[in-house]
Amino acid sequence: MDWIGSLVLIAVGAMLINNFVLYYFVGICPFIGVSRRVDMAFGMGLAVTFVISIAALLSWAFTYFLLRPNAPLAVAVWEAVSPGSAANVDLSILSYIIYIFVIASSVQFVEMYVRKFFPALYKSFGIFLPLITTNCAILFACLEILKRVAGAKPAEVWGLHQALTLALFGGLGFTLAIVLMAGIREELDFADVPVHLRGAGITFIVAGILALAFMGFTGVDRSLAAVLLR
Amino acid sequence: MSGWRDLRSGWLVLALALFFGAALAGVHRLLAARIAANVLHETLSQIPALVPGADGGAPVDIRGRTVYRAEAAGRTLGWVVPSGGQGFADRIDLLIGLDADGSTLTGLYILGQKETPGLGNKIIEEPWRGQFRGKSTGQPLVVKKGDPSSGNEIRSVTGATISAESVCGIVNQTVAEMQAALAQATREEPDR
Amino acid sequence: MSAHQPTAAERFLQGIIPENPIYRQLLGLCPTLAVTNGMRAAMTMAGATAFVLICASVLTSLIRGLLKPHLRILVFTLTIAAFVTIADRFLAAYMYAMSKQLGPYIPLIIVNCIIISRCEVCSSKQGVFTAAADAGGVSLGFALALASIATVREILGAGTWFGLRVMPAVWPDWVVMVLPPGAFLTLGLLLGGANWIRAAREKRRGASRAA
Repeated sequence: MDWIGSLVLIAVGAMLINNFVLYYFVGICPFIGVSRRVDMAFGMGLAVTFVISIAALLSWAFTYFLLRPNAPLAVAVWEAVSPGSAANVDLSILSYIIYIFVIASSVQFVEMYVRKFFPALYKSFGIFLPLITTNCAILFACLEILKRVAGAKPAEVWGLHQALTLALFGGLGFTLAIVLMAGIREELDFADVPVHLRGAGITFIVAGILALAFMGFTGVDRSLAAVLLR
Repeated sequence: MSGWRDLRSGWLVLALALFFGAALAGVHRLLAARIAANVLHETLSQIPALVPGADGGAPVDIRGRTVYRAEAAGRTLGWVVPSGGQGFADRIDLLIGLDADGSTLTGLYILGQKETPGLGNKIIEEPWRGQFRGKSTGQPLVVKKGDPSSGNEIRSVTGATISAESVCGIVNQTVAEMQAALAQATREEPDR
Repeated sequence: MSAHQPTAAERFLQGIIPENPIYRQLLGLCPTLAVTNGMRAAMTMAGATAFVLICASVLTSLIRGLLKPHLRILVFTLTIAAFVTIADRFLAAYMYAMSKQLGPYIPLIIVNCIIISRCEVCSSKQGVFTAAADAGGVSLGFALALASIATVREILGAGTWFGLRVMPAVWPDWVVMVLPPGAFLTLGLLLGGANWIRAAREKRRGASRAA
């Protein structure tokens, strides 16, 4: 129960309370750029969710086994090279470089794989995939995982299930935000927007109002925790 | 063969990777000690304020947690326990000051929080967090709206009851977990 | 492409206002929104971004003759990520409180599209001096844009500027301005304002040309 409860809390936190776009401001470029039509927005959202989950899987593995202070793999290599001196092995200075390459290569592989095996799926969101490499939402998810794996006390180090929950629901939160935005923008086409605000300006203002609405979720997790964890 | 040509054309990437690897190793050698000292200093610099009379301290591991022994002239005067938990908006990280046998709170300091500016973030201000000083750890602290009437009550923060309750909850839980272990660690000291 | 190649000085000036990365090109919006709730955080971010942008531009310009087309992006990413790591460590060592406050937004400079777009568009094709001037101009433009947003948000939201009280004590802080929604609202309105100013100037120029 606690196990599921803590995952539900992470999921609600990542998707609604601390929404990636509306609270942390990551993934703004596609949020503004690809939110003109609902179907495009939905495709983009799914593509991001897909890539973010794969990147989270890989970056958790890298962080847990290689990058965090005294990670098992790093210590093993160090012991093999110079036995007895692995007192304090810490490769975390390499984490940013590793993450960005994990993201870039997973985007490449996902694109190839989807194009080969799911042509229909590729048609619907394949065009967005190359754009995702520079989407900060993905790197942000990796950095959150780094914080929870390398920076946490031993008892609180995140496992793979927690990392994947954060990434999956963070991605779904992004999808929710961008689809909401696209729905509003489709209606905005019929509205009389002041000429200088047209385009990005009014989009940001609408995003501000959405962010205000999402602030209403703050504190929800506390009551949820009371119910779920007791 | 094209594979071999690809590899040869990649020499620049490899050279750059070596160059940056060396640069990062240099940066790490230069700064790692300083960064670690910054992290430690953040806690150590608060010890005199959190445990009255103490002029320094050192980290110790008790029950798998890092706590800080607050000392004056080599004697343990109290303990500083880092703790944290979910607040209203985000995680709250704090330092709890306790006397040597863990029976009284001697101070509270908020290391990090993202509570609502102007409301919830009043928890970082001395008038609010100062209330914890001198409270007994005998019974759990509770948050009260309005003026506190009995010894284990803490005045709430106007418009941010949840922030106040979160802090109290973190303090209660930490004290419950650590008090016995800290008191025992003090008793086991050689010069007592 | 026009035959005329802008000089280094022209590139420097272009980056500041006419081709401002935020108001004109809408690039690098993530730090623009996230760290502009105070001037200190915004200026630290602008400084770190300028360091990475200038270093990465100079380096890519130095090795521009050796770049293979299909490995170009890979080299840019590696360069940027390495310089960001260096900036991140220096902040953690010498400005610890600020580095804690900025948190993940320092490493997120890696995916700031301003930097990779300058590498791609300018510094991988131009000489070192031109590339550095271009990067300097864009950095200054980025810093100005961050400053404009942070000024509005910090003064309205907290009544302070660089942490110094500027509003009278009776000023009720508009807390929402320093919270996430305030970032979106401020940027949206300032973008509208920038468009309005530009439209007005173009109209005046058109009128004077006609006369």
